[in-house]
Amino acid sequence: MKLIKKCPVFVLLLSTGLLFTMIALGGKNTIYASQEYDPVTTPVLSVMFTAVNDEIYPWQLFINQNAPVMAKGPETGQGRPDETESDEQKEPQENSESTGSYDTDKTGGTDRKENRGESGKANEQGENNGKNDDIKDQGINSGESGETNEQTGENADAGMAENTAKDNGTESEPFKEPDEGEEPEGQQGNVKGSEVKEGDVGTIGADALLNASKTYKKEEAGFERLAPLRESTREEYLNHISADIYGDAGVIRAASYEFQTVDESYFDDALFIGDSRFVGLKDYTDLAEHADFCCETSLTIYKALEEKFSKAGTVPEVLENKDYRKIYMMLGINELGRGTTEDFMGQYTEVVDTLRELEPEAKIFIMGIMRVSEKKSSSDAIFNNSNINARNNAIATLADNKNIFYIDVNEVVCDEEGNLKEEYTFDQIHLLGAYNDLVKQFLSEHGVAE
Amino acid sequence: MVSFSSLEFLFRFLPVFLILYFVMPVKHRDMVLLIGSIIFYAVGEPVFILVLIALTLLNYFMGTRMWKLNEGFHLSDWQKKRRKRCMIEAVVLDVAILAVFKWLAVFVDNSLLPMGLSFYIFKMISYQADTLRGEIWSRPKFYQTALYFTMFPQVVSGPIMRYNEGGFDGKRIYKPEQFEEGLKLFVIGLGMKVLLADRLAILWNDLQMIGFQSISTPLAWFGAFGYSLRLYFDFWGYSLMASGLMVMLGFDFIENFDHPYASKSISEFYRRWHVTLGNWFRDYVYIPLGGSRCRKGRLILNLAIVWLLTGIWHGNGLNYVIWGAVLGLLIILEKLLYGKILKKVPVLGNIYVLAVIPLTWVIFAITDLKQLGIYFGRLFPFIGGAGIAVNQQDIIKYSRNYSVYFIAGILLCIPAVSEFYSKHINNPLIVLALTVIFWLSIYFLSSSAGNPFMYLNF
Repeated sequence: MKLIKKCPVFVLLLSTGLLFTMIALGGKNTIYASQEYDPVTTPVLSVMFTAVNDEIYPWQLFINQNAPVMAKGPETGQGRPDETESDEQKEPQENSESTGSYDTDKTGGTDRKENRGESGKANEQGENNGKNDDIKDQGINSGESGETNEQTGENADAGMAENTAKDNGTESEPFKEPDEGEEPEGQQGNVKGSEVKEGDVGTIGADALLNASKTYKKEEAGFERLAPLRESTREEYLNHISADIYGDAGVIRAASYEFQTVDESYFDDALFIGDSRFVGLKDYTDLAEHADFCCETSLTIYKALEEKFSKAGTVPEVLENKDYRKIYMMLGINELGRGTTEDFMGQYTEVVDTLRELEPEAKIFIMGIMRVSEKKSSSDAIFNNSNINARNNAIATLADNKNIFYIDVNEVVCDEEGNLKEEYTFDQIHLLGAYNDLVKQFLSEHGVAE
Repeated sequence: MVSFSSLEFLFRFLPVFLILYFVMPVKHRDMVLLIGSIIFYAVGEPVFILVLIALTLLNYFMGTRMWKLNEGFHLSDWQKKRRKRCMIEAVVLDVAILAVFKWLAVFVDNSLLPMGLSFYIFKMISYQADTLRGEIWSRPKFYQTALYFTMFPQVVSGPIMRYNEGGFDGKRIYKPEQFEEGLKLFVIGLGMKVLLADRLAILWNDLQMIGFQSISTPLAWFGAFGYSLRLYFDFWGYSLMASGLMVMLGFDFIENFDHPYASKSISEFYRRWHVTLGNWFRDYVYIPLGGSRCRKGRLILNLAIVWLLTGIWHGNGLNYVIWGAVLGLLIILEKLLYGKILKKVPVLGNIYVLAVIPLTWVIFAITDLKQLGIYFGRLFPFIGGAGIAVNQQDIIKYSRNYSVYFIAGILLCIPAVSEFYSKHINNPLIVLALTVIFWLSIYFLSSSAGNPFMYLNF
């Protein structure tokens, strides 16, 4: 008692410290199971604080843990470790669902209302994907992740395989081994088609462009999505290495499209979705005078559709309010080191498909993640260009060169070795304000005629 | 671990050390502190700990030579001369070692500068000078000298205390109230560092990320003020943590900052900013050179020397020399020209300080002279500096994001706020507030793993 009077701050800090430690220990296997911490340098109570960032609060420990709902409503509450199993069971189902939606999508514009419903589901799955990911992160410590990991890998794979098995024509096969012939069949065909257009660009006016696009529309439906060549290994997963499971077939295929130079009014019906890199584009070029931006620092593909952007609202809300004809998306650097390429790709595919459903008329430009400088790349186990390239190779396989286009701004901001040019950046990650114009320039040279 | 605002220090080193320190009988506590300090430094500098130990031994024996010449009731002239020579030898050696390491840091590699060297060398110099001057009253034992040089709360960044300011003779206060007092100071310092300085550091990082050529003039000024606040709370916070630890261990509180931003002139500012360093230069450079009681020409020279040395001491770039030179020039001008006007006209001095000091901090902050030029071009666009791809609205975004830290920071710059705090220090609400500040700091430290820029994301 005397001590409390003499040193109240000390007593209060000590007792709260003990309390927090008890909470942290109490939740070690339940709510805090997914929190990583290094016991050598960090007190156990720090998990209580890191968990707050994942919207896990200490009081959730005292709410009945058997109930599926934990304080934050059904969505964020579920998917915690004790429900891992149910998640896993759910996954294959939902995967096939998504495949389904992709199919309907290809048949043309479906009823918008129906789409919305489906997008909701997709959203939910996104959530689960993210959660799964978290659970596996925790797996690093507990060592039980192996199964979970493989299983998801299989799931994703199965989904993909199913997808390709169903629709695979002959044309996608050559791309699996692009080195075999200089110009694989399918690619060649496409190049021929676009050569016509190449001649048109610049010299002939809008009519010619229209014609060109008509000829393009006459062509068969766009490319099919490619299947991964292999699975991520456990080593790659444990070391936060993004496995290059697709190879560069997707990139090569996507590059066969001939883009056109467009003027600024082209961006009047464009929407940009991205992280801090796009924030730079918005703040330091005049693109924002034409296009709308749903960008936020530290945005990830897992949050892309849920994030509430100030004033504008979420991406689905934004798409409802205005008809966009172009949607640009560059996401992926923040989630490097989180999950495998398969996890990332699963979510990325979901988001792209949802965008297609919400705005069937829009061309979607999925943009390769901008690389980091050599200095950063060579010194960072996670944020390096090998990981970025692996994920870009994955993203590119989604391009059908008809509605979905893959473009890679690295072409104009990187040196010969493929690293972000040192003089373009201070922090080795972001472009200096003044150099965002290069991106704008790049985008206006990569337009697609309607 | 060497940063007080790291989880490793707060939850690993400090608790273990404190338990051992207070469990031990009083007479062994010096040993615990000495061993703890050596471990603390060795963790941060596993190689350069040898430099610290070697310099400690060297300076102890150099000092002992002087003490040996001190024997006898009356000092004869030859003794005085010999003693002075001993002191000069020791100081020259210390300065030379500091210079060599600085040179290595500038021309070879920055990592070759041992942590805290500038601070503990200054302590060593003051130890030698104080021994000569008789300001150390009894002959220190080796462990006492070693403790003074290596003590972990001060070894990294000061404050540069004097030997006779500490309880190295074993007379320290061990009372719960004393410990509590120190803990409060420590918590406040931690809060300043983590909740203010580290948050404001992100603003400066953002400006660098954008590139100075692309920031608007209002943002350039906002950035300069933000950096001024950040530097203040970084260092004041650090000093409070260091002094708080000392008080917890039973030493006296060493004041290092006395609301400098409330000053009315630059010379006053530097009597209240990093007080222990200013006093060091005053006592061991400025006054020995003749101080201000001399001809005008000599006074100017003395001030110029002091401020050039101050600039060089602070860092390894040319910008630090410019920074020191500008401050020296301003202080000389104040002494000779407009110092009296600043004193007489109310508020004028405050405005002058608040406008000029942030500009000097900009010089301090930007090591690349070309970039420094660009920044000043943005601060004063009319003297040339059009900027590239400037977003004129950027100030709106940044003032929205950082106004909270600015308001809190500005409040803490006002002396009355501190007075209010001291008056109500035992109020339960203050006790509660300190607890909240502590855990909020831990929250930020946990989620950013100690590195403020980790929290940034892309």
